[in-house]
Amino acid sequence: MKIISVERVSKLYRLNRLGARSIREEMVRAGRRLLARDGLFDSDDFYALRDLSFDVEPGETLGLIGPNGSGKSTVLKLLARISYPTTGRIIVRGSVASLIEVGAGFHPELSGRENIYLYGSIMGMRRADVRAKFDQIVGFAELDRFIDTPVKRYSSGMYVRLGFAVAAHINPHILLVDEVLAVGDASFQDKCMLRIEELRRNGMTVIFVSHDMAAVERLCNRVMLLERGALIASGAPHDVIAIYQRQWVEGSRK
Amino acid sequence: MPGEPGTPGGPGRFKEVNPVEYEWSDSLPAHLRELVRYRELLWQITQREIKVRYKQSLLGMLWAILQPLSLMVVFTVFFSWFARLQSDGIPYPIFSYAALLPWTFLSTSLSFAVPSLIANSHIITKIYFPREIIPLASVLAALLDFFIASGVFVPLLIWYGIEPTRNLLFVAPLLVVQIVFATGLSLLLSAFTVLYRDVRHVLPLAIQIWMFVTPILYPASVVPEQWRVWYFLLNPMAVIIEGYRRSVVQGAAPEAGYLIVTAGISVALLWMGYAYFKYLERDFADIV
Repeated sequence: MKIISVERVSKLYRLNRLGARSIREEMVRAGRRLLARDGLFDSDDFYALRDLSFDVEPGETLGLIGPNGSGKSTVLKLLARISYPTTGRIIVRGSVASLIEVGAGFHPELSGRENIYLYGSIMGMRRADVRAKFDQIVGFAELDRFIDTPVKRYSSGMYVRLGFAVAAHINPHILLVDEVLAVGDASFQDKCMLRIEELRRNGMTVIFVSHDMAAVERLCNRVMLLERGALIASGAPHDVIAIYQRQWVEGSRK
Repeated sequence: MPGEPGTPGGPGRFKEVNPVEYEWSDSLPAHLRELVRYRELLWQITQREIKVRYKQSLLGMLWAILQPLSLMVVFTVFFSWFARLQSDGIPYPIFSYAALLPWTFLSTSLSFAVPSLIANSHIITKIYFPREIIPLASVLAALLDFFIASGVFVPLLIWYGIEPTRNLLFVAPLLVVQIVFATGLSLLLSAFTVLYRDVRHVLPLAIQIWMFVTPILYPASVVPEQWRVWYFLLNPMAVIIEGYRRSVVQGAAPEAGYLIVTAGISVALLWMGYAYFKYLERDFADIV
């Protein structure tokens, strides 16, 4: 049984539809569209993902690589159910914890302690279960002294540490890790790598997005290369990384 | 045990809250089932909302009472003593407080629920949970305020020697209709605000105008007879407020026809509001 199935998924962003706008703006636009008589088509449509299909087996550590704008982060957002695919179907059989951008979704006014409990309950954990893990999370994040400080006063490094510590200790079936680890210092990054390896060995499915090829090769047992929203290559880390480096990294040097 | 490696989805760690398998769904029953699974989160976010609200105000819980009470005092002095506004023979403090209780519930629900999704965008863009939990928590927190403020009403009724009658039981359906109406409107407007931010700026004015066209300061009987049917049909809050006055203060039953119509409007509004909310919800993270 696949733990994740992505079937022919596309994600369309309408660049001029993005963001909230005012009712007046909307009327002006409608008027302009009527005058221009070019109908309903917008030239600014942009496919972040195009007809993407892949499966993930339970326990796999899948790396996503590709140049900026290739759709890696969009894949994570779709898997985390934060964003919705324009077409296609996604089935995820299990709970998902995500570290997308800095901070796992913390409330700035609340303390680190309160945020750990809040995050736990968003993930569907009981208070008692969070309490059992609490010291471990705080210890891992190295935030003992600041745990009752509102997180809005945290540095970005502290934010990332807390985010990773929570996500990595609540035992989801699937862990999504974006670029975030780049923010921490070297020793914390190393600690995170070790933790991810440990979780992997215990059968957790991990999806890892990074530009750090050494980390991808070290952690992943499969790598997918994306470019402009399409899947270019998928397979053994070494081989796919080689394709990527040949085409983009060296290509850009010429 | 420090350093103990985790077991993914290990026993006892996740209860049924985490779906074993999920897809985006379009059916309302599926959305409702999911909301029920997340009830603990709804409770936690409600507690957070209450905590954040009272933590920041000097008066704490007293604020919930002070809001309708101070308005009642001002209304009594200016509209009853000075302007000699009629109140269907009911002592004016009771007359206005009975209306201010449900009104404050609605206006508090709306003013916290409407901007709530934007205020919580940092969570919405990072992690999934049924988004309706956020505006629902605002309504629940307003309901707590309502109950606290209602506590003051009891000694007030005793002071004015108003005896409860059997018709006091109508408070139960009135309360249900009031909650359904406020919830429906909060869901509808909070989702709409994500698309159109200016709703946030229009809201205070709209609430103010609505307050003056609702029988809070004056009895509904001042509305000319030939307009009264439309008045009650178009303003559910008028029906709810007059209903409270009748059942609590005058010991009479609310007018059944209007109450049934208002209940129908409220249920339709909740259904529409929820459907619209879930329809827009998929795009929240892309827009907000």
